[in-house]
Amino acid sequence: MTEIRIAEDQWDEDLEGNLLTWLYDEGTEVSQGDVIVEIMVEKLQVEIEAPASGILRHGKAEGDLINRGDVIGSVAPG
Amino acid sequence: MVNPTDIKTAQRPAPKARKVLMNRAIREALDYELANDPTVFLMGEDVGPFGGVYQTATGLYEKYGPERIRDTPISEAGFIAAAAGAAMAGMRPVVELMFVDFIGVCLDPLFNFIAKHATHTGGKQPMPVTIMAGMGGGYCDASQHSQTLFATFAHLPGLKVVAPSTAYDARGLLHAAIRDPNPVMFLMQKELLGLGLWGTLPGATSIMPDEPFELPIGKAFVRREGRDITLVGMAASAHMARQAAEALAKEGIDAEVIDLATISPLDRDTVIASVAKTGRLLVADEDYRNCGVAGEVIASVCEAIGHKLKAPPRRVAFPDTPIPFARPLEQYLRPSAEKIVSTTLDLFKDYA
Repeated sequence: MTEIRIAEDQWDEDLEGNLLTWLYDEGTEVSQGDVIVEIMVEKLQVEIEAPASGILRHGKAEGDLINRGDVIGSVAPG
Repeated sequence: MVNPTDIKTAQRPAPKARKVLMNRAIREALDYELANDPTVFLMGEDVGPFGGVYQTATGLYEKYGPERIRDTPISEAGFIAAAAGAAMAGMRPVVELMFVDFIGVCLDPLFNFIAKHATHTGGKQPMPVTIMAGMGGGYCDASQHSQTLFATFAHLPGLKVVAPSTAYDARGLLHAAIRDPNPVMFLMQKELLGLGLWGTLPGATSIMPDEPFELPIGKAFVRREGRDITLVGMAASAHMARQAAEALAKEGIDAEVIDLATISPLDRDTVIASVAKTGRLLVADEDYRNCGVAGEVIASVCEAIGHKLKAPPRRVAFPDTPIPFARPLEQYLRPSAEKIVSTTLDLFKDYA
């Protein structure tokens, strides 16, 4: 299983993001590099890619506040 | 008891369906058209490295460079007129006008030139300009940042006006708008774009095919079939109409919902065919009530089949006043699903 972690340098300043949407439902098989979630940070919309291929699990929900370094979900081998 | 077959089914990955926010759907259409037509270019305030205030152009500057993704100064009159010149020189400009409310300072090149030039030249010089503009309120941005101005543009001959309600429609209609030889106002409701800061209506996000596709400009979509009343909306008010239809179903009223999607040319045939079946009509329109699209839809239906109506048509529109800043005032005046429901219930009570 691979954690989906927001990199410490994902956005510049020490700002909180807002999870806009997961682009795939839980249980979808995604490929490494697929954009899987969008996070709004101030006026910038950040796309997060799947760190590995596998079955997607959502850890955080839409509307949750996200900080750099947070684990927001996971990808497990199918 | 769970049998082994069920466990296997439960563990099978869900089919891979890619959800896309409306602003990203717009970016996909722009990306495809930029990649496949060298005459297409994008310009506007902050569309460059910042990716546009609506994030409709994220990454395009890096991919296509400053010649084709052009940041403009804060001079709408300058860059709308520049789009006209570029179109005359054979280009296919796409311009982002940040807020539709700013049209005031650049209306002359739009309505006196871009909209009329093809006619002036006997059709010899088309004006394939697409103007994308953010519009709509509901988030306390007051009178100069909350308007929809559907009717303002629909009133001008020579312009096409689209106002999609979903990411899927936005993508299909933007492909069509860019390829259209006529100028198209592509109105993006902020509440539907997917940006957290303007709120996001969940129904606006779509499952998106990977391949490009085109939706016809000038075609309305029947979102829900019903027998008792036709509810017409556009952009956010199409969502309000759909929500209202669900609430009305619990009251025993079976509403048909039509999403205009294109404001001009108006798909009168689809609306008239629906009202011919239901006999009742309500139009939800976030634009000002006076001389609005709602009134035009109602007039079109009355001209065609007014004698067949079971009740007078109704409008739920924004009252003829500047849009207030204060949330309670704005919400009081703005159309909503609740207002559509109560107006419909009153109609059925008054004309039982």
